[in-house]
Amino acid sequence: MDVVQLLRQYIDCKTTLFREGILDDQFTQLQKLADDSSPSFVVEVVSLFFDDSEKLLKNLTQALEQPVVDFKQVADHAHQFKGSSSSIGAQRVKNVCIAFRTYCIEENLDGCLKCLQQVKHEYALVKNKLENLLRLEQQIVAAGGSIPPVE
Amino acid sequence: MCQKLVQLMQGKIWVVQNPRGFPQRMALDLRFQLHPSLGIVISEPGDFSEQLHHNSLFNGLHVLLADDDDVNRAVTQKLLQKLGCTVTSVSSGFECLSAFSPSGPPHKVVLLDLHLPDLDGFEVAIRIRRLRSRSSWPSIIAMTSNASEDVWERIKQTGINGVVQKPILLQGIINELRRVLLLQANKTVL
Repeated sequence: MDVVQLLRQYIDCKTTLFREGILDDQFTQLQKLADDSSPSFVVEVVSLFFDDSEKLLKNLTQALEQPVVDFKQVADHAHQFKGSSSSIGAQRVKNVCIAFRTYCIEENLDGCLKCLQQVKHEYALVKNKLENLLRLEQQIVAAGGSIPPVE
Repeated sequence: MCQKLVQLMQGKIWVVQNPRGFPQRMALDLRFQLHPSLGIVISEPGDFSEQLHHNSLFNGLHVLLADDDDVNRAVTQKLLQKLGCTVTSVSSGFECLSAFSPSGPPHKVVLLDLHLPDLDGFEVAIRIRRLRSRSSWPSIIAMTSNASEDVWERIKQTGINGVVQKPILLQGIINELRRVLLLQANKTVL
């Protein structure tokens, strides 16, 4: 595939991510932080986010499977997930986490389980799209092209 | 004379009489406009790279960053480094306190997550204050996603000098660092 096609795909992917609110301005800030001395900054932070998220999702699932649910524990995990997702700009994940915490405070198990499903779904979505975006970036650079500068 | 001065300031001055008609005290009514403190430059939101270049105040500034979230820590550390700061990052309250060894770097600012896993941020702040004499106190800026009234109260009580809301934004951290450093500088002069 040539650079022009790759660039077009890249721009489409990025536009969709922002238009659908999957990513917000925090992600833009992240991209602006990458520079010559740390060209793979975004990839590194995104990898950290994926690692942390897998752990948090596991913890959330386990906590909600307990015979007696410790809602404070669940709230703590949701709070952490909210923090990291908001730092990276994963807006929809963050929003589900906000709702998640409210259900924890209300000790609403049903609500919590629904949120768990939702957050898994939103996380899978952002993971898939981000991996795609970052892979396209690498391909563009490898093909001798350059990424359009972030506004 | 007083009357003239007050009138120039567009205020009022009058004599309050006691029940017997003798002048008892003077009353003064002056209105002041709220003005940002002198010495703090409020910059326009402007270009991201402009913001990074206009901040030589932070060059070589030793900052201790305490945040247990890997993603937050990586992002905040990068932001600070871009501003020219020398950053030491830790992920727990105890690591934070250990970073104040006599042989370690002289941290001038501590960026402290209030939600640390071992000690809560307030406890860390109290202990930092105990570690050092007042003249070498670092400024402490709390990071929190929840800036409610109770949080504010505790912040004031524990000697924390500033607050930034999470997620950290470049302009937010620039403003708060500036404000806190200027306060620190003024205290040294006094």
